[in-house]
Amino acid sequence: MVALIEPTFAAGAVAPRRRRARSAAAKLGGGLAVLVPIVVLSSFITYCLGALSNSNPAATILGQDAATPAAVARLDRALGLDKPLVVQYWDWLTQAVQGHLGVSYFSQIPVAQSIGQRLPVDLSIALLAIVLAVLIGGTAGTVAAVKRGSWFDRGVTIACSIVSTLPAFVVGIILVVLFAVSAHLLPASGYTAPSAGIGPWLEHIILPALALALQVAADIARQLRTSLVSVLDQNYIVGARVRGLPYRRVLVRHALRNASGPALTILGNDFPIMLAGAVAAEVVFSLPGLGQLLLAAAEERDIPVVQGVLLVVATFVIVVNLVVNTLLAWLNRSADGVSA
Amino acid sequence: MSRRPLIGQRSWLRLPSARIALVILAVVIFLSVFGSALAPQNPLTINANALFQGPSAHHLLGTDYLGRDVLSRLMAGTRLSVLTAFEAVAIGLVLGAPLGVATVFLGKWFDFAVNRVSDALMTLPYIFFAVAVTAALGNGLVQAMSAVGILLAPGFFRVTRAATLEFASAQYVEAAELLGATKGHVIRVHVVRKVLPTIAVTTAMAAAGALLAVSFFTFLGIGVTPPAPTWGGVLSSDLDYLSQAPWAPFIPGALIAVTVGALNALADAFRDRIGPGALPLPDPVIKTHSTLTTSHPEAADVRQTAA
Amino acid sequence: MSGKPPPDEALHIQDLHITVHDGAAVAVRGITLTVGAGEIVGLVGESGSGKTLACRAALGVLPAGCAVSEGTISFGGQDVTDLSRRGWERLYGTAVGAVFQDPASYLNPNLTVGGQLAEVLRVKQRMARADAHRKTVELFAAVGLHDPERVFHQIPAELSGGMLQRVMIAIAISCDPRLLIADEATTALDVTIQAEIIELLKDLRDQRNLAVLFVSHDLALIRELCDRVVVFYAGEAVETGPVEEIIDRPRHPYTQALLRVASVGDFQRRELRVIPGQPPQMGEDVVGCRFAGRCPAAIDACRSGPIDLLRLGPGHQARCVRAGDPELEAAAEAELAAR
Repeated sequence: MVALIEPTFAAGAVAPRRRRARSAAAKLGGGLAVLVPIVVLSSFITYCLGALSNSNPAATILGQDAATPAAVARLDRALGLDKPLVVQYWDWLTQAVQGHLGVSYFSQIPVAQSIGQRLPVDLSIALLAIVLAVLIGGTAGTVAAVKRGSWFDRGVTIACSIVSTLPAFVVGIILVVLFAVSAHLLPASGYTAPSAGIGPWLEHIILPALALALQVAADIARQLRTSLVSVLDQNYIVGARVRGLPYRRVLVRHALRNASGPALTILGNDFPIMLAGAVAAEVVFSLPGLGQLLLAAAEERDIPVVQGVLLVVATFVIVVNLVVNTLLAWLNRSADGVSA
Repeated sequence: MSRRPLIGQRSWLRLPSARIALVILAVVIFLSVFGSALAPQNPLTINANALFQGPSAHHLLGTDYLGRDVLSRLMAGTRLSVLTAFEAVAIGLVLGAPLGVATVFLGKWFDFAVNRVSDALMTLPYIFFAVAVTAALGNGLVQAMSAVGILLAPGFFRVTRAATLEFASAQYVEAAELLGATKGHVIRVHVVRKVLPTIAVTTAMAAAGALLAVSFFTFLGIGVTPPAPTWGGVLSSDLDYLSQAPWAPFIPGALIAVTVGALNALADAFRDRIGPGALPLPDPVIKTHSTLTTSHPEAADVRQTAA
Repeated sequence: MSGKPPPDEALHIQDLHITVHDGAAVAVRGITLTVGAGEIVGLVGESGSGKTLACRAALGVLPAGCAVSEGTISFGGQDVTDLSRRGWERLYGTAVGAVFQDPASYLNPNLTVGGQLAEVLRVKQRMARADAHRKTVELFAAVGLHDPERVFHQIPAELSGGMLQRVMIAIAISCDPRLLIADEATTALDVTIQAEIIELLKDLRDQRNLAVLFVSHDLALIRELCDRVVVFYAGEAVETGPVEEIIDRPRHPYTQALLRVASVGDFQRRELRVIPGQPPQMGEDVVGCRFAGRCPAAIDACRSGPIDLLRLGPGHQARCVRAGDPELEAAAEAELAAR
């Protein structure tokens, strides 16, 4: 009989978990080391773009007649435009972190307020779009992989190829034509807040969200199919089945769990594309969102608004990427990186 | 068989989809040069009597809200789309690829810094970035597409960096040198075989993205002065008059889709050439593990700019 | 053979034929074998001899393109030859368990090993989480893992090959199956660990009356572990019998050659011996004995028609027309005496 050492205390049992937790924390620390420069650089680029867009904002604000050198100098001092660029940037950033994004040059409305009014629109669409993309792409990719070689699989591949050539604004227009103009099923424009009723809110955002979601769904489906096909060939799937686990459980808890890493990364990388599509959706569906705000502000050279919108958008992207990274780390506890 | 086949077994032209794609792209490029000259009618001629007409013998693709021939407008608009997309890809390639090679050899701090700049650029959706750039530098398509070019650079950067890393540490380099090959020969032979196809994939996908971007910009009216015809502009006006002509947007939409599809098919053919195993998994924008990874990023990094 | 097999037989395979490449070739031709309760039966043969395919068929996990074309397989009297996927799901774990050659690859790399065993208990025996945890630790201890509570929380990458194989065995026996199929279970392990695993299997057989089908190409292990042996060659069983008989008094020339090459039993070698030639291609139809081309003792009768199993003694059979031939026996004994 092989010798047994009596199990000692339970602390020994925690050791592997603690070790893994520590290495996860180290990775998180490493992640922060990478994250901070990205945030700083991103916001700095944002700030510079805004600052460059108007070489003499004071003059623009005052208007041609009132822009005497003295008046301009006075306004410069008031707006803090006489300080060096880096100082201006730092002031702006520290204020921004506290929620103060400045005041529009022309309308005197606080930027944060304008953004706050329009943010729910984009937020609703973006979140619904993510949900739709994951649902549609995930299901299509999974079924295509499970039934590989079937007509469904081939159909999905072709559909993905076609959809990935269609940008959000084209898809949006197609959807409007199909569902709003020809069939009068859903509204073609406008937005109502959820507080005014969930039904109308959904009605108004489903088409825009779908327009954003389809391209990303195609990317997700394609990647998921590839990963899942490769995972399903692995021995541990046979191992799980031979243990008597039901097929559905094997598929979800073992196969999908290991295969979804790359697809999740694609979602994170495509999120900026989704946001860009949101602008398209705003135009096609006449939605009062951040994209419209940005376009108008850019035309007027309204710097604080431009900077504010860019900062908010970049923050979104970073947050989504962080969430994706956390999920990836949770999914893949084995070696560094993805397992399939 | 005494004659070698014209198209090699492993050539990317082997795929029928690649050949069709090449034909389509050749047509598009041809149109970009000669489109205005070959258009059946003047794209600017307004004809108040012939509004919103469907396809006919006289107007093969119908007329728009001002009675102008749609086919002619689209043919004439090809040049702008193709040239500016080309400009964006060129900027991305010129900025990104050499940096990708450089960071491997110029030290850890340089590598870290450039990587962070690249990541930061990837957090900015191209439309927002481009609009901000046009606000800064003037409302022109050239400026907007330069912005797109800058945002394409990180994709090229990551791809060339990964390929260079793999190449620099590959054992077959050592082996080849031990066998007496000169460094130049090694670089020529192996770089061509390994790195160029990957860059080709990225370029094709970047071109697709850039084309979508320019369509979007012209759709939004950035950088174009009416009545100059553009693909996106035609689409935009179709949107305004959707109730009168619900079928109209499908035409420019199909044109954009077909061209982008051809570029994607070309990218797939290049990818096929590299082989199934060589294209590994995508890297997230914020990587929490070592940045000196030897995995190629999927060319999807470049799709950042596609809308 | 006729009638239903007695229910205390854990596994009964009757005249099994397996085709590969979607029916293009026959890889396994007419295998018949039985594993009784508490018995350890070894399957030995070269790669490509069909032993793995037979094993997989007995588990219902034949690779794509392979199918059972004739014959039956039954567990304790229940015919499983054409069982549905649902049917197999019910049987796995409760009637039959399996361990394979590379244990690390058969476990999910991202989940703890304890979690994977506990999952089986929770799903198949509807245990509560705490009970499953406790039973898992017990099973880990029963298969000889040090500090089972700690092992519970480790992922496969953190464990050695020997430990992982113990984990696999623990998982395989967790729901008390009557039969354990071990397909090259020790091949990838160090020699010392191999010995430990063999001991473990024997203990499990003694404690639980577990029947084991042990597939290997290592005759030394087979001799250590098994009660009976089936020798495979080119898709057929060429000799079956009790292990001492087969090892000490092999009657089929292939078995003799195998022992000679492996230097097991009385056939100690002084020089490296090989069996000249190659086995027939998978599925190749050969008239007569499939070993005749390489057999030093082949005669015309060997090539004239299909060779049946010749009964040589209680439980001992060989597929050779010359198996009972006194000349052959004399030659073998002379060789033994000369060493």
